[in-house]
Amino acid sequence: MTSHVLAGLRVVELSEVWAGPMAGSLLGDLGADVIKVESYPRNSQTRALVDVGVGMAPGDGPPYERSGIHHLPNRNKRNITLNLRHPDGAEPFRRLVRGADVLYEGYSAGTVERMGWGWEVLREINPRLVMISMPGWGKEGPYQGYVTLGSGLDASAGHTAIRGYPGDPPEETRSIYHSDATGALTLLFAALTGLRQRDATGEGCFIDLSQIEALAWQMPGTFAEWTLLGRRPEKLGNVDPHIVPHDAYRAAGEDSWVFVAAESDRQWAGLAQALGHPEWAEPGHPWATVVGRLRARTEVDAAITGFTQHLLATDAADAIAAAGAIAAPIVDPPGHYASAQLQARDWFKYVTSKYAGTRIMPGFLWSISPDGPTWDRPSGLVGEFNDEVFGELGYSPEEIAGLEAAGVIGTSYALPK
Amino acid sequence: MAQPLTGVRVIEIGGGVAVAAATKPFSDFGADVIKIEAPGGGLLRRLAPFAEDRPHIDRGAYHMAIDTGKRSVVLDLETPSGLEALARIAEGAQLAIVECPPSQASQLRGVLGGAGASVVTITPHGLDGPFADRTENDTSTFAWTTRMHLHAIAGRPPLRYGPYIPAMQVGGTAAAVGAAAVWSLEHEGERRDIDVSAIEALSGNVDTYFVVWSFSGAEQPRTGGQSKANYPVGNYRCADGYVMFAAGGERFFARLCEGMGHPELITDPRFATPDQKALHWNDYMTYLEPWLMARTKQQVFEELQQYGVMVAPTVEVPDFIEDPQSIARGSLVTVEQPDVGAITIAGPPFHLDAAWQARPAPALGAHTIEVLDAAGYSRDEQAALFRAGVTG
Repeated sequence: MTSHVLAGLRVVELSEVWAGPMAGSLLGDLGADVIKVESYPRNSQTRALVDVGVGMAPGDGPPYERSGIHHLPNRNKRNITLNLRHPDGAEPFRRLVRGADVLYEGYSAGTVERMGWGWEVLREINPRLVMISMPGWGKEGPYQGYVTLGSGLDASAGHTAIRGYPGDPPEETRSIYHSDATGALTLLFAALTGLRQRDATGEGCFIDLSQIEALAWQMPGTFAEWTLLGRRPEKLGNVDPHIVPHDAYRAAGEDSWVFVAAESDRQWAGLAQALGHPEWAEPGHPWATVVGRLRARTEVDAAITGFTQHLLATDAADAIAAAGAIAAPIVDPPGHYASAQLQARDWFKYVTSKYAGTRIMPGFLWSISPDGPTWDRPSGLVGEFNDEVFGELGYSPEEIAGLEAAGVIGTSYALPK
Repeated sequence: MAQPLTGVRVIEIGGGVAVAAATKPFSDFGADVIKIEAPGGGLLRRLAPFAEDRPHIDRGAYHMAIDTGKRSVVLDLETPSGLEALARIAEGAQLAIVECPPSQASQLRGVLGGAGASVVTITPHGLDGPFADRTENDTSTFAWTTRMHLHAIAGRPPLRYGPYIPAMQVGGTAAAVGAAAVWSLEHEGERRDIDVSAIEALSGNVDTYFVVWSFSGAEQPRTGGQSKANYPVGNYRCADGYVMFAAGGERFFARLCEGMGHPELITDPRFATPDQKALHWNDYMTYLEPWLMARTKQQVFEELQQYGVMVAPTVEVPDFIEDPQSIARGSLVTVEQPDVGAITIAGPPFHLDAAWQARPAPALGAHTIEVLDAAGYSRDEQAALFRAGVTG
C-alpha cells in the first residue's frame, strides 16, 4: 500500500496533458483518493488516436492506451469518464463534488464556468470544497481563455530568451515544458494551503493558480539582472560567469559529453590532480586562483577537453569526482537507466498495464519512512473505474449502463477511419 | 490578518538554493521559518547579481527574493553546543527541511526528529547508494537527469536551462511533500523522515522523455527548435521578435489555418498527414511567414488566441514585467529591503483571497538573539555561545 500521508482526502481532477495530471499522481502517491474525470467523448491530448511518432508501446490494443507520455503522469488515481456537456452528466458530477475535499481543473480560464461549473456553483454544492483553477496565465486578467502548453509559458516568462546556444538564432532554441513540473508541484502546495485555511475558517476557498506565476518566481537571478541592475539577461549556455571551469566537455564516443566544474580552489586542486597536472593548482601558477582561472577560461577549457575527449563520459566523471571536483556524464535515457546509483536505490519501477505491457517507469520524487510511495495503480484505462466510482456515488449497475448507453460515460474513444 | 499557514513552524538548514526555495512558500503564506545559517552564511547569499553590483552577504538577488520573511539564526552545527541549541529551537516545529551531505543527515534527523518535526533531507543522490557522497552542483545534478541531454541539438553540447532552475524545482518538490507532512502531523500526529534526491526529483517529474524510450525503444528526436513535421512548433520570427508555437496537432493546425485566413489549407493534401507536412514545410511557410512578419508578437498572440491557437510571445524579462496580464494580476511586487531600498520580486505562486505576503529578507544572524531568548537561553549563556564562535 502506498503512503498514507494524505489518506482520507478525496481529490477530483479535471485536467489533461502534464501539469494537472502529474499533480494528481503526486497526490495519489501520498495516499489521497484521486478521481480523474477524463473528458468524454473528446480524448485527452496525450492519448494518441493513431500510432504516430515516438513513445508508443507496441501492441494491438487501442493506441490511446499505449502512449508513454500519458502513462507517466496518470498513476495512482481512479480514472472515470464523464461528458460534462451532456445534461445527464450534471447529477453524477454534483455527487462527486459533494464528497470531495479538493477539486482542481486545468482548462483555459472560463471553460468550466461556461459549462456551468464555476466556483460560485460548486461552493453551493459543497461549502467546504477547496477549488483550484490552474490555467496557463491564471483565471483572472485580460488573457482569459488563452491556451498554451508549457513551452509557451517558458517563452512568455522570459526563460526561452536566455536558453539555447549563445549566438544562435531563436529558431534553434528547443521547446521545453519545465512549467508543467513546477505547476504540478505548486498545485500540491496550493491544495494543502487551501485545506489548512478551510480547517481554520470552516469554509472552503477558491485558488487561482497561474502556471506562469508558479514558474516566474523560480528565476530570481535572471529577473534581478533587470529589476535590480537594469541589464537585459543574456544567454549563457553552460557557462557560469563566476566559475571556471564550468561547462560541458566532449568525451570519447559519438555525441558524448561530460559536465565539469571546480567551484573553489580546493575543487580545482582535485581537478588538476585528476588531469595529471597537480602543479596547475600550486601557488604561483596562473590557474591556481579563482581570478586567474576566470581570466584563462579558454585555455582551461581546452586543457579539460584534452583529458575528457579520450575517456568515456562516465569514466572521466568518475575520475574527476573521485579527485574532489564536480563532474557528471550528461546521460541519455539508456545511460540514465544504467545508473549504478538509481539501480542501487531500486528507483525505476516496472509497471504492467493491459495494453502497454510491462514498461520501465521513472520512480518517485521522494522516499518516505515509514510509509514510502508504491505504484499501486498504473495509468487508468479509459473509464476503468466507472463502475466502482459511480457505484460508490449511489448508481446501480443498470443506471451506470444507462449512462453509458446515453453517451454520458464510456470506456473507449472513437478511432479515426 | 492571519495567514493560512500561521502557527506552522519550519526549520531550514543548509544555506543552499533548493532548501531556501523549499521554505519560501511556507514563509510567504504565514509560517514561522527559522533559517539556521552557518557562520559566514551559505551559498544562496553568495550568488550574483548583487544590489549595485557590490557583493555582500545581505545584498544578493537570490537571498533577497527567496529568504523573504524568514528569521535568520547563525549557529555552528558542527559543534555539540550548536546541535544542542538546534534541538531547543526546533521544539514545536512541525517540519524541518535540510540540505546537507548524507554524512550529516542522520545526526540532524536525530536531533530534529527528536524535537518532533518531520524531516525532509535534500541531497543530490539521496541518502544511500554508491554515489551518495558525490558532490554535485546545479548543472551536474541536471546532467544526470536526461533533461540536459535532450536540451540540445544532436551533435552539439547539451545545455542546461537557466541558472538554478533545477535547484528551484527540487525546492518546490521538498515544499510540496513537506506541506503534506505538516498536514499529516497536524491531523494524525505522525512524523516522517523524507529523503528527496535532487536527481530523482528532477527525473521523476514531467518534462522528461525517458518514457518515450522505455515505451518504444526510440529517443525523442533532438533536431533544431522548429519541428518540420508537426508544425508549427517552436520559435517563429514576426515583425518585432519571435512567437512560440506550442502544439501542432491536427486540431491546432486547423485553428491556425483559420486564424490566418486560409481555411482552405486545412484540407489541402500537402498538409494532410505528418509525412506530407514534412515534405511541404516550405510551402506552408509561404503562407505563415508573411502573415507573421506583418504583425508584432503581441498582435500574433492576441489574434491567434481568439482562434484557440497555442501561441505565445517569446519575451525578455522586462516585457514580462510590463505585460498586461502581469500588471492586472500583480505578478510582481515591491519589497522595501533594508539598506537596499525598494526591490521588485515575483509575487505569489497562486492567489488565495488576500493571503501571501512578501516581507524583507533578514540580515545574516538578525534573529539569533530573539530566537535564543525564546529557546530559554539566558543572555550570559548566549554570550558564552557567541564567545565560543557557536552563534553570530
